[in-house]
Amino acid sequence: MSGTLLRRDAATAWRPFVIVGAVLAMYAGVVTSMFDPELGESLQMMMEAMPQMFAAFGMANAGSTLAAFLANYLYGFLYLALPLVLILLLNSRFLVRWIDRGSMAWLLAAPLPRRRLAATQAAALSAAVTLLCLWIYGLGLAMAEGMFPGELEMERFFWMNLGLWALLQLLAAICFLAGCAVPDSRLATGTGGGLCVLFLLLDMLAGMDEAWEALRFFTPLTLYDPMALSEGTAHLWMVAALAGAALVFYGLGTVIFCRRDLSL
Amino acid sequence: MSNPVIEIQNLTRDYGQGRGVFDLSFSVEAGEVFGFLGPNGAGKTTTIRHLMGFIKPRAGRVRLFGQDCFAHAGELHRQVGYLPGELALPEELTGAGMIRFTAGLRGWKDTRDADELARLLELDPRQPIRRMSKGTKQKVGLVCALMGEPRLLILDEPTSGLDPLMQSRFVELIGRARARGATVLLSSHLFEEVERTCTRAAVLRAGRLAAVQPMEQLRRSKSRRYVFTFADPETAAAAAARWPDARAEGVRLTARVQGGESLPALLALGAEYGARDLETHGLTLEESFHQYYEKEARQ
Repeated sequence: MSGTLLRRDAATAWRPFVIVGAVLAMYAGVVTSMFDPELGESLQMMMEAMPQMFAAFGMANAGSTLAAFLANYLYGFLYLALPLVLILLLNSRFLVRWIDRGSMAWLLAAPLPRRRLAATQAAALSAAVTLLCLWIYGLGLAMAEGMFPGELEMERFFWMNLGLWALLQLLAAICFLAGCAVPDSRLATGTGGGLCVLFLLLDMLAGMDEAWEALRFFTPLTLYDPMALSEGTAHLWMVAALAGAALVFYGLGTVIFCRRDLSL
Repeated sequence: MSNPVIEIQNLTRDYGQGRGVFDLSFSVEAGEVFGFLGPNGAGKTTTIRHLMGFIKPRAGRVRLFGQDCFAHAGELHRQVGYLPGELALPEELTGAGMIRFTAGLRGWKDTRDADELARLLELDPRQPIRRMSKGTKQKVGLVCALMGEPRLLILDEPTSGLDPLMQSRFVELIGRARARGATVLLSSHLFEEVERTCTRAAVLRAGRLAAVQPMEQLRRSKSRRYVFTFADPETAAAAAARWPDARAEGVRLTARVQGGESLPALLALGAEYGARDLETHGLTLEESFHQYYEKEARQ
């Protein structure tokens, strides 16, 4: 890894990171404050009125505990979509833009093997995802303890967040791989982002209607089930599978980057 | 001589429609300042991309200091200063930021020789790159390429965007690099640029090597156009009749001289007919080589 390049990455990443972090904090605050064990019933009624709409956004079951409530309203969709925006932006700034603008020539002309160059940028993206997840986790703990002391089941909440981390790492790794492998750098962001959005849509469709249930098998989001994690009924191997796949894709991206032609 | 610094053997890279490089072979010895001449699209940049290990040869071998350019790019670049033809500096940095960034990537703390280079090129590196003119950006690129006294310099169109004074400074900098024993490969589509700096040059046309010659020999094949203005069209026509290939248009006579050996005779002719004015025009590389090869074909 190159410290100089990591510092450059940090300099281009902090602004969008802070903005997305702030938006996430706002949602975390608003959604957590809406939790009311007594009011669960009225939400249940709304959900019965339009079940498909709620199901599409991963809000099939309002849940009675705070962890389940958060899993339902934040971890099913918002905490996937907003971080995905940041992932796409950072992957573009760390990798795709360098190639697209031709500035990659300056990086390749440095005495850094390509392997180290790609590994540095993968590490930067992965670190940004980890930091964001730590922020989300910390926010959740702070909001929950601030508004409903003692309500949050710590161990289950931890697993919900670890699962989210593994899934977001996988989405980031898919974008990174696309950035390394797609020859046309303008298509690269679209390919990575398009795949991630497609996975998200498939997950939504599969949740909406039983007829589309089979779509579950075409999206890695199936391996992340925040409701099950919040209820303590999840298979933890699924979290490990997400993290493992992320590692493979980061590695594959690096290998392809080392071999490809870069006409800069 | 053995152990050339740059060694290209039968390099081929076909981009289709006649673009690319084809069966290119040449080598550059340590301490040479080697010109790489050719019109735009002749394959100069493609060759340099191979030398820098950005792309892999489809056929043939490309080596620097005896090592494969693609496989060992990282290690090799410790000894190489590179200036891309398309600068593409990161716009969000200042010039100084870019210089520090490049030094950092190379693992250097000390950028004193960059300050010295910036002073020589009259560069104020504090402005943001996005607000710099083409020439100023070029200076930033040159500082980044030349700092740290690399053993090999690979410079793609190094003086593009520089004014004549700065071009002279550049020639001076290349002189210094040569004095400390560095090897230089410098690409250009301008004969004059190569003429002022290089000891030997390769000429590339449509991806193929047209010639590799010492500068002295290439200079002889260079031609210039001289335009005389006479008092009246009749004088111009009369003078034109006495010079091979000369053309008279109104009061103006255009003649070509190759290598300069017959220049005294042309000047004498102009004087004899009472020329009022004389302009000289350097031919473009393409024109001058076209003429050169035509002549060879006729002989």
